[in-house]
Amino acid sequence: MTEFKLPELGENVHQGDLVRLMVAPGATVAEGQPVIELETDKAVVEVPSSISGTVKDVLVKQGEKVKVGQVVFTVENGAKSVGRVPSPAKADAPVATAPAAPKPSASTQAPAPKIPATPANEISVPSETSPAPEFKLPELGENIHQGDLVRLMVSAGSHISEGEPVMELETDKAVVEVPSSVTGTVKDVLVKQGEKIKVGQLIFTLQAGATTTTQPQQPSRTDVGHGEGARMAFQAAMQAEGKTEEQALPPEQPRPPAVATFSMPLNLGKSAGTEHRDPVPAAPHTRRLARELGVDIHSVQGSGPGGRISEDDVKVYAKSLIATAVSSAGVTATHLRQPKLPDFAKFGKVERVSMRGVRRKTAEHMWEAWTTIPHVTQQDKADITELEQLRARFGPKAAEAGGKLTVTAIALKVCASALKIFPQFNASIDMETEEIIYKQYINIGVAVDTDRGLLVPVIRDVDKKNIVELAAELTQLSKKAREKKLQPADMEGGTFTITNLGGIGGTGFSPIVNHPEVAILGLSRSSIEPIWVNDKFEPRQVLPVSLSYDHRLIDGADAARFLRWIAEAFEQPFLLSVQG
Amino acid sequence: MGDSNLNIAVIGGGPGGYAAAFLAADLGMKVTLIDREQNPGGVCLYRGCIPSKALLHVAALINESRHAKNWGIEFGEPKIDVARLRSFKEGVVNKLTGGLGQLSKQRNVTYIRGDASFESSNSVRVKKQAGGEDVLSFDRIIIATGSRPAVIPTLKLDTPRMLDSTSALDLADVPGTLLVVGGGYIGLELGTVYAALGSKVSVVEMTPGLLPGADRDLVAPLHKRLEKAFDAIMLNTTVTSVKDEGKGIRVSFDGKDVKEREKVFDKVLVSVGRKPNSEIAGLDRTQVKLGPRGFIQVNKQLQTDNPAIYAIGDVVGEPMLAHKASHEGRTAVEHIAGHKVAFEPNAIPAVVFTDPEIAWAGVTETQAEKEGREIKVAKFPWAASGRAITLDRTEGMTKLIIDPSSERILGVGMVGVGAGDMIAEGTLAIEMAATATDVELTIHPHPTLSETVMQAAEVFFGTSTDLYRPKR
Repeated sequence: MTEFKLPELGENVHQGDLVRLMVAPGATVAEGQPVIELETDKAVVEVPSSISGTVKDVLVKQGEKVKVGQVVFTVENGAKSVGRVPSPAKADAPVATAPAAPKPSASTQAPAPKIPATPANEISVPSETSPAPEFKLPELGENIHQGDLVRLMVSAGSHISEGEPVMELETDKAVVEVPSSVTGTVKDVLVKQGEKIKVGQLIFTLQAGATTTTQPQQPSRTDVGHGEGARMAFQAAMQAEGKTEEQALPPEQPRPPAVATFSMPLNLGKSAGTEHRDPVPAAPHTRRLARELGVDIHSVQGSGPGGRISEDDVKVYAKSLIATAVSSAGVTATHLRQPKLPDFAKFGKVERVSMRGVRRKTAEHMWEAWTTIPHVTQQDKADITELEQLRARFGPKAAEAGGKLTVTAIALKVCASALKIFPQFNASIDMETEEIIYKQYINIGVAVDTDRGLLVPVIRDVDKKNIVELAAELTQLSKKAREKKLQPADMEGGTFTITNLGGIGGTGFSPIVNHPEVAILGLSRSSIEPIWVNDKFEPRQVLPVSLSYDHRLIDGADAARFLRWIAEAFEQPFLLSVQG
Repeated sequence: MGDSNLNIAVIGGGPGGYAAAFLAADLGMKVTLIDREQNPGGVCLYRGCIPSKALLHVAALINESRHAKNWGIEFGEPKIDVARLRSFKEGVVNKLTGGLGQLSKQRNVTYIRGDASFESSNSVRVKKQAGGEDVLSFDRIIIATGSRPAVIPTLKLDTPRMLDSTSALDLADVPGTLLVVGGGYIGLELGTVYAALGSKVSVVEMTPGLLPGADRDLVAPLHKRLEKAFDAIMLNTTVTSVKDEGKGIRVSFDGKDVKEREKVFDKVLVSVGRKPNSEIAGLDRTQVKLGPRGFIQVNKQLQTDNPAIYAIGDVVGEPMLAHKASHEGRTAVEHIAGHKVAFEPNAIPAVVFTDPEIAWAGVTETQAEKEGREIKVAKFPWAASGRAITLDRTEGMTKLIIDPSSERILGVGMVGVGAGDMIAEGTLAIEMAATATDVELTIHPHPTLSETVMQAAEVFFGTSTDLYRPKR
């Protein structure tokens, strides 16, 4: 990431009013392109960018005063140009783009030890378009801040080109292959397989220039060490949410004197500025523990006689703080809200394995869905004898298009039609605003069983695609899921979900609604059953279907009608073309 | 940011300063302690708590020997050798301060005898008593400069007949008549000493009662006793002028209860409170700020508005007590060492070493009333205490201030012989958030005065063994 700072504008011009901002996050800027209009004491000037790339953050606002040297915006994967860079920008080159600086403390000191005459940012950059000689983990998607490094595909000395995969990262949502944005020979790899990597973390550095191999580079290392003991982790977790920490611990900066919480009428009986808080019913030792953990003892509920706060009360409260802090940071530590577990090791050998990536996310998501949604499951059966005949007939056609005409593929089309007729099944609830959100699009997720666990790729605009197209897309997405190629974006934006366990077996089950959706259709294994048709039993192929729904929004009768409609659509495929 | 490898200075060697310096040294910091006296000790050891207690011990002995007449023992009038008494007192002071000097040497604390002023936020100029000046730099500086007796300009006379607490403790002689201006704890303690030694002591107090701020029921037995020990106790009275008449000091009084408008005293002791020593040269070169009444402004970590400068003890505020200062000193050092600490006691005990002693900790009745806080008070009169009867000192009383809903002990107050030692139990009860039941169910040794604490808790539940209360 590169920063663009306001360069020197001229003698005695130190700042100006930002009258026009011409960049926004996501925009591409090229070197020389005007980015801001600044009104100084002397004139209105257009300030051109000295860097190229995609704007990440804009740190100034129109109408603000901007000072020389102030960061105006940052650029992602930005290539810093040389030669025409104004001198102040050179001096301020962040350590990130000046790896030749011998020590972090020398970040503003440009000369590299062995090539004393050359400024840092020119050492390894043979041309203006050369990429920054290091690679950091780029943004991976909304709300993804980190991932577990499951496979590292580069090593020191290997050559890497832009676009080539660097590593496989397991995030909460998917395993993603991260491609390089730089080209060159890898010098140092700063991460290890199995580690947690954060967005923005330095992954590797490149050797500066193809020919320069004796560069005395000492990239600043990012400390990714773990295992500083439970206590550290505990405190780190507390700090994960800055707010909690701040609230919990009295700020250590000087404040107006909080003289004391008691008044001492010994002398003249006047104690200035006493803020009155009842003395805390906790022993000094317990209060010290609370301070060390960063817990405001006044917020702790005591469990002892007279509300006395024990050491355990403080610890339990601190844990609950972490749970909230962590969950609001998006990484719910679900187990903290769970009842205490027995000591399983008493009964035999056990192995504890940390829940990672997909498993952890699934656990959290299911917990959330189950505790939020009042579930009801409606069961029905669909006679798919005729459908199966059609499926056999049109199978080859779908195969030609690269798909497999499965029951799921047909179910996609059936559900899309049903959702159009029953829009409350294609909705979400906003309890805070007390609103129902009806979605004007139909995107259906399909649960896919992979060796890493359950993934739900989403097929978009199902209502606008025919069955053959859907079959092809479903086949492709399932393949992607199993090959760990799904991108987080492939799993977002669903409005309804289908889960088919028929391939494995079973006569019925109650799926859990994929919150914030409001309904999910479960398909079980079809079987031949005797059905009473025209005065006699006939062997018919029957598909058990289950619909779990959110009773807050959907009533039982509607659910029965919806599921019946689906069953009938399976039974009479013609209905689809008439009504769907 | 905590670091034990720091170079710190402590300005002022009182109970706060030396406690801070010693802890810092124990934590491995390089410590310089600057004070004017030959050894650490400060007002407490040189001119306050310790010498006054040595003299009060003697006063108690004299009073008790007179009291013995009631029990059939007569000693006759005591012969008082003021010079030997003074040297006993000085011996006590030298022993304690010398001991502190030893302790700082053992801890490798650099002790500089001299005056400190600020050159900058992290450097101090020391004018050494041995001669010469040093400018020393430090990572952190702790100000522990304490307080001094307050002076009322209209009561200022340049004569040895005018005393403050410091000169009164020097014990130049035993004046025939002594006026104590100010009915606070310092005046009453020193008045008690001089009265026992033979002076006719009068006390003048501006407010309607002695020990303003303390609960009246605790003060009453002391007042009663002092009425006998002292010549006069003048309340609601102010001193309007003092005049040196060579053979004595003519004092004029004003107030609604005044009987004699003027009177001549051999000596006059002014004890009207203490002022913080916050006028430190060069303090304006730092960001340290003063708050109301000249106290240095600090946060709960005892940090001033300059994060590298801490201040503790009398110079940061009430109560100006040695045991508060030393706790603050240790808190400041722990914070410097990087610990998450705060000075947030639930109770700081206060003791008036008169005869009888008065002591309290935590919430007082007066304070609860002022704040409109609902409390229940359980009192145990010492008239029902076997031990008090054996001592022939039954005027005492022990009371618990209890939160009615949680039954927690919020405050403890006592008056009686040895109350100063017994208040520690009350402080512990408050700090541990003990309930009345906890105190009631803790076995206290018999026959002792400490039983009265447990008995007060029994009174709270209406089930005292030694006190019958008709059912309401």
